[in-house]
Amino acid sequence: MATVVAPVPGRSRWLVLMPYVVLALATLPILVLYVWLFYSSFFPRVEGFRPIGDLTFDNWRFLWDPASVPQMRNRPPVIPLTVNTLLFATLTSLISLLVSSMAGYAFSRLRFKGRRVFLGGVLLLHSFPSVTLLIALFVVLRTLGLYDKLVGVILVQTAFALPFGIWIMKGFFDNIPWDLEMSALVDGAGRLRTWWRIMLPLVKPGLLALGILLFVEGWNQFLLPFVFMPSGSQQTLSTLVRGILGEGRFVDYGLLTAVGLYYIAPVLILFVLAQDQLMRIYSGGVKG
Amino acid sequence: MRVALDHLSKKFGDVAAVNELDLEIRSGEFVALLGPSGCGKTTTLLMIAGIYRPTSGTIVFGDRRVDDLHPKDRGIGMVFQSYALYPHMTVAENIGFPLELRRSVAKSERDERVREAAGRVEVGDLLERRPAQLSGGQQQRVALARALVKRPDILLLDEPLSNLDARLRHDMRGEIKRLQKEIGITSIFVTHDQLEALTMADRVAVMRNGRLQAYATPDELYARPRNRFVAEFIGTPPMNFFPAELGSRNGSVVARAEGIEVELTRAQLPRGEARQATMGVRPEHLSIVSPADGNVTGEVYVVEPMGREQIVDVQVGERRLRVIAPPGFTGRIGDRVGLRVAAERLHFFDPTSGERLS
Repeated sequence: MATVVAPVPGRSRWLVLMPYVVLALATLPILVLYVWLFYSSFFPRVEGFRPIGDLTFDNWRFLWDPASVPQMRNRPPVIPLTVNTLLFATLTSLISLLVSSMAGYAFSRLRFKGRRVFLGGVLLLHSFPSVTLLIALFVVLRTLGLYDKLVGVILVQTAFALPFGIWIMKGFFDNIPWDLEMSALVDGAGRLRTWWRIMLPLVKPGLLALGILLFVEGWNQFLLPFVFMPSGSQQTLSTLVRGILGEGRFVDYGLLTAVGLYYIAPVLILFVLAQDQLMRIYSGGVKG
Repeated sequence: MRVALDHLSKKFGDVAAVNELDLEIRSGEFVALLGPSGCGKTTTLLMIAGIYRPTSGTIVFGDRRVDDLHPKDRGIGMVFQSYALYPHMTVAENIGFPLELRRSVAKSERDERVREAAGRVEVGDLLERRPAQLSGGQQQRVALARALVKRPDILLLDEPLSNLDARLRHDMRGEIKRLQKEIGITSIFVTHDQLEALTMADRVAVMRNGRLQAYATPDELYARPRNRFVAEFIGTPPMNFFPAELGSRNGSVVARAEGIEVELTRAQLPRGEARQATMGVRPEHLSIVSPADGNVTGEVYVVEPMGREQIVDVQVGERRLRVIAPPGFTGRIGDRVGLRVAAERLHFFDPTSGERLS
């Protein structure tokens, strides 16, 4: 159905356009940077905003011929790094989803001793900057033999992601009418089955949105893999980007932009595909 | 199956939502829990369902004490005010859900019973729809089918009609009553609407502030309300009340109130000594006559025609009395009229305790 926007009497068209103008201006710098990033990766050199030389795929050589790229010589190949990053992002988001949806349900529905203390504690944890815990985490991971292992970093990242996830999921569960749950109990379901068959399907939009956010967070995570997986084979793409950037003598910006684009492409695609789901996390929409 | 509540109480913090409730529901009986909002009727229902745990007291189904049992082990079906249909499931999946949880029921039998339950409440052709695609009345029927599909011993209904529009409410009232009698299932329903309670239930439990006010058949509640609260709550328009003095004259008992003087029959006479009382008379037991013929005269305050009858407010002294008049009544605002009181239909209550005096 076509929506006809009636002109608002007494208001000029300019006033209506104002928000768009403001938003466009605010977004422009980021947009310019992305465009710059994009074409820089296809030219040998860029001075300011002006590309120098002919269109080339040279900068992307790291994908099919890493041996010919000097900066890639002492590093693990891109594909295993990509797999690592994918594993890291996927596993952290899946584990976080599982735990947050169970904990969120419990916080939303069950009245147990210390519930308020736990909820407050979870919020407190969320406000903790992860940097401050690096040393303590290092000791813990060393003791557990998980230092320099993907599993260890996955666990740490999951732990950091949980407070946010739990609160978001609690919010989604809070929106589901109690009647539905009582009805499931009367119909003969236990708590676990009610959670699985009735509650989870109803918070699916929340799960999807949270899952995407967590995935992106994992994909972008730099500090934890960098600190806790110093040796090559276990690294992720973010550490590769930082490696190329910090190569010392001179930085190959062409290569950097190509690797950078390669690194952000999955996230961009994910955002484009999942826009609708992501919007819902802020409107918290569950139809009862 | 018989249901017995014994000294049942539920406290939320310091507030007693239900206070020492004793109630027995006979097997196959249809009982309404009636009262204003906050009277504890829904809390009582949820305790029977096993969703709330009683603070004290016992609940017995048949010969079995159930107050520690999980809802799923109580053999109950329940219809919620909001219907509580699972939005992500089709009608068939909704109705089948209680059976899906029972391993003893095979898939083929489940389908059969879903069809049977759906057919009984006439939603057989909606099985593939989702709840959001149904009208309020259809959702209500699906909720009923889901409650009945596992063949429970007891059916619980929480305000089953309050989400329906007036027309549909009337239809469903009759249908639920008929269904209950057909299956013969012991049923308890909660309502704040006295008309629903009176029309559907075999017996009505009137509650206020967590306490049972009366438990009787609709006829009895109407004809001999046990206290002033019940008298006021049952019947539309509500009963008229005024303070009266009971005394004797020439060997018979008379009640005097607001210039009305009525001689009472022996059956309704509250012992005979002179005392104060609250007199109650229903609007349908007052009739409008010429000023000379009435027990009392007054002035028409307002007339509300209802089609089949008219509700006339008559100002008598300081008080305004509601009277039901036949459609032929042509009085206008300000007219002087007489009121005739049906003496045998008067009710008397203790002015302080509110208890019935006869």
